[in-house]
Amino acid sequence: MRPLGIAARIARHEWRILFSEQTPWLVFLLLALSIGYAVTNGLHWVEFQQTTIRGALNEQAQRYDGLKQQVVDIQSGKQRAPFADPRMPDAVGGRLAWTYAALPPLPLSPLSVGQSDVLPYYFKVSTASRESVLTTNEIENPHQLLHGRFDLSFVIVYLFPLLIIALGYNVISSEREHGTLALLLSQPVSLTTFMAAKIGVRAGLVVLLVIFFSLLGIVVGGVNLTSSDTLARLAIWTGIVAAYGAFWFGAVLAVAALGRSSATNALALAGLWLVLVVVVPSTLNMSVSALYPMPSRVDMISALRVASKDASASGNRLLAKYYGDHPELAVESDVQKAMNDVAVTQLAINEEIERQVRPVVDRYDIQLGRQQAVVDRFRLLSPAIVAQDALNDVAGTGSARYRHFVSMVEDYHRGWQALFASMIVGKQKVTPAVYDALPQFQYREEPFDALVSRIAAALVFLVFAGGVLAAIGVSRLRRYPVAG
Amino acid sequence: MIGRIARKEMTEMFRDGRFQLASAVVVILLLASLGAGWKHYSDLKTQHETAQRAERVNWLGQERKNPHQGAHYGVYAFKPKSQLSMVDTGVDPYVGVAVYLEAHKQNEFKFRPAQDASTSIQRFGELTAAVVLQILIPLLIILLTFSAFAGEREQGTLRQVLSLGVGRGRLATGKALGVAGAMSVVLVPATLVGVGTLSLTSMTGLLAVDVSRTLLMVAAYGLYFLVFLALSLAVSAVSASSRLALVALLAFWMVNGLIATRAFSDLAGYLHPTPSEVEFDTALQRDLADTKALNAKLDVIKVGLFQKYGTSTLDELPVNFRAISLQEAEEHGYAVFEKHFGDVFDRFEGQNAVYQWGGVVSPLIAVRSISMGLAGTDFAHHRHFTVAAESYRRTIIRSMNDDILVHPTKAGEEYLAGSELWRRVPEFQYVEPDASWALSHYTTSLSLLGAWLVAAAFVLSVALRRINV
Repeated sequence: MRPLGIAARIARHEWRILFSEQTPWLVFLLLALSIGYAVTNGLHWVEFQQTTIRGALNEQAQRYDGLKQQVVDIQSGKQRAPFADPRMPDAVGGRLAWTYAALPPLPLSPLSVGQSDVLPYYFKVSTASRESVLTTNEIENPHQLLHGRFDLSFVIVYLFPLLIIALGYNVISSEREHGTLALLLSQPVSLTTFMAAKIGVRAGLVVLLVIFFSLLGIVVGGVNLTSSDTLARLAIWTGIVAAYGAFWFGAVLAVAALGRSSATNALALAGLWLVLVVVVPSTLNMSVSALYPMPSRVDMISALRVASKDASASGNRLLAKYYGDHPELAVESDVQKAMNDVAVTQLAINEEIERQVRPVVDRYDIQLGRQQAVVDRFRLLSPAIVAQDALNDVAGTGSARYRHFVSMVEDYHRGWQALFASMIVGKQKVTPAVYDALPQFQYREEPFDALVSRIAAALVFLVFAGGVLAAIGVSRLRRYPVAG
Repeated sequence: MIGRIARKEMTEMFRDGRFQLASAVVVILLLASLGAGWKHYSDLKTQHETAQRAERVNWLGQERKNPHQGAHYGVYAFKPKSQLSMVDTGVDPYVGVAVYLEAHKQNEFKFRPAQDASTSIQRFGELTAAVVLQILIPLLIILLTFSAFAGEREQGTLRQVLSLGVGRGRLATGKALGVAGAMSVVLVPATLVGVGTLSLTSMTGLLAVDVSRTLLMVAAYGLYFLVFLALSLAVSAVSASSRLALVALLAFWMVNGLIATRAFSDLAGYLHPTPSEVEFDTALQRDLADTKALNAKLDVIKVGLFQKYGTSTLDELPVNFRAISLQEAEEHGYAVFEKHFGDVFDRFEGQNAVYQWGGVVSPLIAVRSISMGLAGTDFAHHRHFTVAAESYRRTIIRSMNDDILVHPTKAGEEYLAGSELWRRVPEFQYVEPDASWALSHYTTSLSLLGAWLVAAAFVLSVALRRINV
């Protein structure tokens, strides 16, 4: 009989045994529950983000309408405190008409929360300094952030390998322990074929089920799959899951081929899982922050305080700010004139502060760059890191897309500052028409090719590492102690 | 007899290469994480102290200006690092390090360290001593005990030993002591190093360490390890084979350390949803802008003052009415901020209460909560600091307004205050609450950890009676 035919028969037989032990049903139940919960959590989080972004834009529209109405009221003779005058560009660009810049979640974002709960997904852009714009936070219970989310990428990265280990740790050792292995190999079948069939059945069962339930969750959850971009991402996502599974099946094969007892195999595989999924990433994290400690923001605050004190001392801002806060103390017409001068002085002061604090602020980005460089150099130590990164990336919650977003916000913020600076210097009044023409932030997705090339590397690594492990396993199988 | 059994177990373990390797790895990781924690702590401690002193200098060095401008200039309050944060960093990376205390508004804490250090692997978590103690040590215990009975049964020695007339309880106690002894060889030096590092970090030595917090933390982890020890022995006693014992224990370890924490955290989020910042801020601003009651109150006060001093203009009053109006506006703000921040904080505490009930399936959840509480790195301590900072903000503003009050000015005049006023505001002093305050938030976790211990002991005694020879 041809080896393929034999393999198929073994696989069929194996399948029956697994079913008689109710294993598939257990796997089915575990996966259905955990994937169902994970996808629900992801959908819930993304819906929260979308509601928030919608609410923010809504709030902005209402605020703008109110401001435009006030301009009309003032033009028809109503009084208004000058620091809150909706016609004065310094007030408008800063405390009145600040605007939202949001990173919209992708259709597949529910699959992986990634860092989207730690890093703000929207900023309040105003003429304030870059630092105060970029350091806003979403309200969140810090305990929740610490524990992390039970999302689908968690199920894939952490639990999926455990399931593979549970199904495969005794794949041939149990045959030997039951005494059936020697009997079996007295038939015209090679150990490799036998092993391949056994692993193949298990791989088919668990990989296909994981993918099936994930897709089911996505479809039932009502994720919009109409765009070709989303479908392409979904295909890549499936590829990552399969490649990560392949790595772990490779590991199972390599350990099984060593010919130790089932208990030793279980220990070795659990140890490998612990090292690759928990110890290496967290140790890498620890080393990175010990090697390149992130300077505390405390330093920046101090620098900012000193800089603003110095800058303010050189401007006639103090009295002006005082009137700004408490206009009721000054005669109206004087204030009007003063406010204009103040605004220009303030512009100069702000620029001076940003210039002075710049070196301190740059340290954060430089240090983060160094940290990420170390992570990139050592990420191949753990397939879990590779898989998690790739899953985040394809779901749109990874660091590359986030950096892209932040750099767009920075551009937008600079534009916003420049626009209002020119209006302030030009002593221009903000009219309802100007309100309508204010630039709105529009997120543009980074090119798809960039994503593909990043993920291709990850896929190649996972498949290659799995392949090497499997090859080691197959070559060791020849020396397997069949009747040991 | 028990001593002999324990000695035999220990000798066996020390000769076992797996134990040597595993404990060497655990000790190295524990020491490395303690070292990193110590470095991080001492760096930050210096920075925070320097910055807080600099803030004081800034505050005192203000030029002559109106007191209300002084209130606007304000002060930054920096959250001090607690000593035990080098063992358990808790939520420290996820809460802001500083809050700006200024007139008119209660600000949120800004600058979460996790946001700055957002490398792509940040969410895998950092290896802290707490992670080693909560996740790796239980695994080591499982590794040492899963074959305690099952292995002897498979080798046929269990029947022999029991036929010698050794009581099952004694055998189990001996084995437990053996494992505990082997573990203490790993843990006691590490604990000593930890406590030593703690005392080194404070100039005054051991006395400055919060002894009760440290001892309680050691005790909590000790109980947690005992739970694992008893459960592992019980499972080993009743399992058909050491393989099944191992698989069952590993499954429990996974649920305990990995699945339950995240699953319950998400569940807590469903039961007590957190509002978004936009939602929070919109509601807050709406309430702040609602000044009808405030204005009515000010009118009443004004009329009262006019009557009292028999005048009808603000200029003729012997007190500065602006101070009254500023202070009343602050009081209006206090109520609004208390309501909104209080509501969000209560939701967080509600979430944490739900999460603590996860201790029913996972003793790790119980010990993690207690550990964070004792380390002073949980949300309760953060809230405690928030309240202290806010009350200091009120002290500053009150002092400024009180000074304006006794310096009435005519229209067009301005009153300027100098360093004697800045000095009148006391320095910000934060006193960390004591250990019993810290634990009072974790009564659920404490009871559940106790319940786990009782249950594990009970299960062990039942398992010993049913031991499969």
